Amino acid sequence: MVIQKEKKSCGQVVEEWKEFVWNPRTHQFMGRTGASWAFILLFYLVFYGFLTAMFTLTMWVMLQTVSDHTPKYQDRLATPGLMIRPKTENLDVIVNVSDSESWDQHVQKLNKFLEPYNDSIQAQKNDVCRPGRYYEQPDNGVLNYPKRACQFNRTQLGDCSGIGDPTHYGYSTGQPCIFIKMNRVINFYAGANQSMNVTCVGKRDEDAENLGNFVMFPANGNIDLMYFPYYGKKFHVNYTQPLVAVKFLNVTPNVEVNVECRVNAANIATDDERDKFAGRVAFKLRVNKT
Amino acid sequence: MTKKTLEIYSVELSGTKDIQQTDNGNGKEKYRGLKNCFEPRKNHHKEELRKEVDLDDHKLSIKELEKKYGTNIITGLSSTQAAELLARNGPNALTPPKETPEIIKFLKQMVGGFSILLWIGAILCWIAYGIQYSMNTSSSLDNVYLGCVLALVVILTGIFAYYQEAKSTNIMATFNKMIPQQALVIRDSEKTTIPAEELVVGDIVEIRGGDRIPADVRLLSVQGCKVDNSSLTGESEPQPRSSEFTHDSPLETKNIGFYSTTCLEGTATGMVINTGDRTIIGQIASLASGVGNEKTPIAIEIQHFVHIVAGVAVSIGILFFIIAVSLKYQVLDSIIFLIGIIVANVPEGLLATVTVTLSLTAKRMAKKNCLVKNLEAVETLGSTSIICSDKTGTLTQNRMTVAHLWFDNQIFIADTSEDHSNQVFDKSSGTWASLSKIITLCNRAEFSPGQESVPIMKRVVVGDASETALLKFSEVILGDVMEIRKRNHKVAEIPFNSTNKFQLSIHKTDDPNDQRFLLVMKGAPERILEKCSTIMVNGQKQPLDKNTAEAFHTAYMELGGLGERVLGFCHLYLPADEFPETYTFDVDTMNFPTSNLCFVGLLSMIDPPRSTVPDAVTKCRSAGIKVIMVTGDHPITAKAIAKSVGIISANSETVEDIAKRLHIAVEQVNKRDAKAAVVTGMELKDMSPEQLDELLTNYSEIVFARTSPQQKLIIVEGCQRQNAVVAVTGDGVNDSPALKKADIGIAMGIAGSDAAKNAADMILLDDNFASIVTGVEEGRLIFDNLKKTIAYTLTKNIAELCPFLIYIIVGLPLPIGTITILFIDLGTDIIPSIALAYEKAESDIMNRKPRHKKKDRLVNQQLAIYSYLHIGLMQAVGAFVAYFTVYAQEGFKPSIHINIRVEWEDSNVNDLEDSYGQQWTWYQRKYLEWMGYTAFFVGIMVQQIADLIIRKTRRNSIFQQGLFRNKVIWVGIASQIIIALTLSYGLGSVTALSFTMLRPQYWFVAVPFAILIWVYDEVRKLFIRLYPGSWWDKNMYY
Repeated sequence: MVIQKEKKSCGQVVEEWKEFVWNPRTHQFMGRTGASWAFILLFYLVFYGFLTAMFTLTMWVMLQTVSDHTPKYQDRLATPGLMIRPKTENLDVIVNVSDSESWDQHVQKLNKFLEPYNDSIQAQKNDVCRPGRYYEQPDNGVLNYPKRACQFNRTQLGDCSGIGDPTHYGYSTGQPCIFIKMNRVINFYAGANQSMNVTCVGKRDEDAENLGNFVMFPANGNIDLMYFPYYGKKFHVNYTQPLVAVKFLNVTPNVEVNVECRVNAANIATDDERDKFAGRVAFKLRVNKT
Repeated sequence: MTKKTLEIYSVELSGTKDIQQTDNGNGKEKYRGLKNCFEPRKNHHKEELRKEVDLDDHKLSIKELEKKYGTNIITGLSSTQAAELLARNGPNALTPPKETPEIIKFLKQMVGGFSILLWIGAILCWIAYGIQYSMNTSSSLDNVYLGCVLALVVILTGIFAYYQEAKSTNIMATFNKMIPQQALVIRDSEKTTIPAEELVVGDIVEIRGGDRIPADVRLLSVQGCKVDNSSLTGESEPQPRSSEFTHDSPLETKNIGFYSTTCLEGTATGMVINTGDRTIIGQIASLASGVGNEKTPIAIEIQHFVHIVAGVAVSIGILFFIIAVSLKYQVLDSIIFLIGIIVANVPEGLLATVTVTLSLTAKRMAKKNCLVKNLEAVETLGSTSIICSDKTGTLTQNRMTVAHLWFDNQIFIADTSEDHSNQVFDKSSGTWASLSKIITLCNRAEFSPGQESVPIMKRVVVGDASETALLKFSEVILGDVMEIRKRNHKVAEIPFNSTNKFQLSIHKTDDPNDQRFLLVMKGAPERILEKCSTIMVNGQKQPLDKNTAEAFHTAYMELGGLGERVLGFCHLYLPADEFPETYTFDVDTMNFPTSNLCFVGLLSMIDPPRSTVPDAVTKCRSAGIKVIMVTGDHPITAKAIAKSVGIISANSETVEDIAKRLHIAVEQVNKRDAKAAVVTGMELKDMSPEQLDELLTNYSEIVFARTSPQQKLIIVEGCQRQNAVVAVTGDGVNDSPALKKADIGIAMGIAGSDAAKNAADMILLDDNFASIVTGVEEGRLIFDNLKKTIAYTLTKNIAELCPFLIYIIVGLPLPIGTITILFIDLGTDIIPSIALAYEKAESDIMNRKPRHKKKDRLVNQQLAIYSYLHIGLMQAVGAFVAYFTVYAQEGFKPSIHINIRVEWEDSNVNDLEDSYGQQWTWYQRKYLEWMGYTAFFVGIMVQQIADLIIRKTRRNSIFQQGLFRNKVIWVGIASQIIIALTLSYGLGSVTALSFTMLRPQYWFVAVPFAILIWVYDEVRKLFIRLYPGSWWDKNMYY
């Protein structure tokens, strides 16, 4: 690294390096004697040990300010996002009706995704709640733990439940089901005590034409208030996220259709310009038929 | 300015009579020295010089000249002729040294230093975008923006550095153009004043005392003209000119006046024979440009530092590029990491800061009369280890002053300080009364009128240097000299001439009862003594016997040995019966006695050292700087001055001194015993380079006397062979090669010629040696403070770099963005790093040795390691704690961070789960990421405040240094906080900048680490102070 102006022969440079690496006269290895190396290693051991301890300590102190159950702040989560299943790489669901491999992985994913919604599991773990109102479980001074969750039965998804469905959620017939879910946000009272539902439209006019008809499960794309509020994964162990399934009945084949679904709820704004997924979700649907 | 110049001229009229002869004899040798000096260097220089010697216009008669140049000495050239010649030969001005074209200078700023690295970063950004674009046409333009920002950073810092440099060059330009020169020329039979630049060969010009000779002229008619050729030949004595051809060599002959020399008195008419670069001065000036300019020490240091930082950046960059690729990252991602690493590693603002710091110091130095032309020279002065100084004007006051008196068999010391106020010798003696009368009356010098309000010592005097000294001396002691002279009416006078060697005048006395005439005489002491038969002791006439004559000789030798110019004074009251009131004195027949006079006393004069100089020399000595005096003066005078200012210290002896003390021959003296040496130009000329080296290493106190300015170059080169950083002062044109060759050339602002100023790196506005020493102090301070600035700036680079490295390896959300880093480097850090330039020195920096060019680096291993691996890592840890705090309190606890990167950054994943089971859209995460950036940024900023405070000192405790002494530091801290607040709360909504609002408590997360940094550094400094020279000191002191 030391740039020296004097021109040196190659041999001299090598010689100098050799002497730098091991200097037999002063017994210096890389410019330091053994004792010096020992000192420096010891110093750094102590120094970095101390620094690690300091880091650990401050992190520990910091974590004391954070509760295990609820986050300290939720600044960014005022508006829950919407997301679809099956989850694909670029949020585009492409179905080649004749090519089972093209949708098989979607089906596998959906099977796995919907498994916890099986009625048997729901009945075993969760409560039957009164629809149309929040299922609040306040702590009232005593830690109410774990909190109960409301049932969302797979059968509520009707034609999209995939139970005993030879069409594989409609993928084999070109009438695919897309599942829409709203992001979980702790202590969020979605809908502000009013009913809410999900609606889907084609993004542009031609998309609307190409989209054709669709049906939603539960009817109207309703999301019931009883699934709210969410108390966090530590409290709300068996919480089941409500879903809305959309079955597209006659999508114009071989055309890419831009679909946008949004939740209509009193306290969920869906017009955030920057966050394209706040209260809404946009995806592409393409059904290829030969 | 004019007044100042005049003052100098009035002093330069020194008639150093006794020295003059030797000088003339020496002249030829000097010119040979000039040739010798350049001959070995470059062949074409030699030829040029020879061509100049071929000049034969001085041998031609006026008729031949008229024919040769097609002119007429009565009517001059016609204006058409002149215009034609002007067009053909170009203006009569020296071609300024070839300047690098502005555009090249500008481009140099664009590619120098770290710019290359940043350009690479910018290009990588664009390449990354190209790859992204080829894969997905709708990819975001982030990388293009970042590339543009980086390019912009380079261009802006480049423009800034260029502007700074241009500004300091401009100071010079204005300085040069202060006095446009005019010339009185005869054209079309009319006398007109034209700018000297428009002179052409064949023009007839008139020159008056005080003028600068506007071109090389062959003198046609001369009335009492004397010129100062010192800038050309180094002879400080005024040279008489005449219209006769007196010598074969054009440099010796009296009928040629040289361009840019000054006509001191008298008038002359001459014909222009050479203009512009073809003048002799022009040829010498062009030689100066042939001497290469050395790279300044600070430039070398900065280059060294850039190499270190660039080396670290490139090796870490490449290392992590390889790691990233082997961790199966895509090449595109790896390139982006590489960009981040480069940006984090390069202190973008540092070079601009260094420039500002240097120019601040340059300004400060300008206030102390050191005008720095080249910013980098600011520091060079600080690393100076040898100063080769002129004597006249630099070490001395450049005016003859009465230093000693001898009367009543006693030597009295006169006050030679700048204001003369404190004359303490015994004035009660009757001898003094007589002596003072002679001093007052036997003197032709007069004050220029209209200076009643000016302090006596500053008044302009018409007369030669000795008489000026006597006049001022008597005016200070006796009061109004002119009035005394009026009262003692002068009836006859014989002015001084070199054959008589005395000056005589006869006066009526102011005593109304005394009708006798008073004859007063002064001159060379031995001549005066010859004319005397009596001597005055205690106001009484006594016969001049052998004893008193002996006493006289002892005193004369003693004063002469001090290098002083001694004058003898005598008088005689002419008997009233022989010389009645009506007697007419005839100075030609000398009808009055000039022998058997009464000797009154001796007065000796010297150009005394400036009162600040001895102190400055002592300072230099304690600062380990060798001061070498180089003068054209007589060795005895040079030695005397050297002794009185301390260049030769009181207890050191030269070989000759030892020989004299031990009464042995000079050859027998063991040379090792002598610490000091006085070497004359003649001796120097016969020395081989090896002998000179030996001389320079063996003697710590050296005076070069009787040297020609050309020999300065030899001396400078000799010093540089000793690996010294050499500062050279000079004023003459032919000092310019030495000034150029020196590591730092210092030209005299008042006495200096333009050529010297052009060649110099620095201009001493008051010509005072002491100013150089203040400059040295400033230069050393700036070196220390630059160290602090760089240490401060480098520290946070690790805190900026670690996030990238950990991001690559652990895969957590990026803790700090590239743009944010730029806001630290070019935002919050700028003013604080400049503020360190205002830091006071920790200890007396003038008490340590000058730094060793190769060993004491600006950025050494200790500095880099301490900044990077100690404080830098602490900062990184502190900033990470701030980052983790933000994430944890928003829902992402530290444990979830590992390998979250891919999902975190995938804009299609809009339901990423946090530690509490909540799900986040991509934009929500992005915003959190920006909060993380801001928190990390604030974390670094807070710790940089601590870093700034600890960097105030390197060894002393902060409390010793004073926390509040440097107010600018607090301005810097305030600026950091204000910029950070503005970025977070003011510009938090501008997404492109990726800053967000931050909860107030997050501003304090890193405070414990800031305190830790301070405490740690105090402990470090404590151990350094407690155990100097220990392992700790060696490894921890930077």
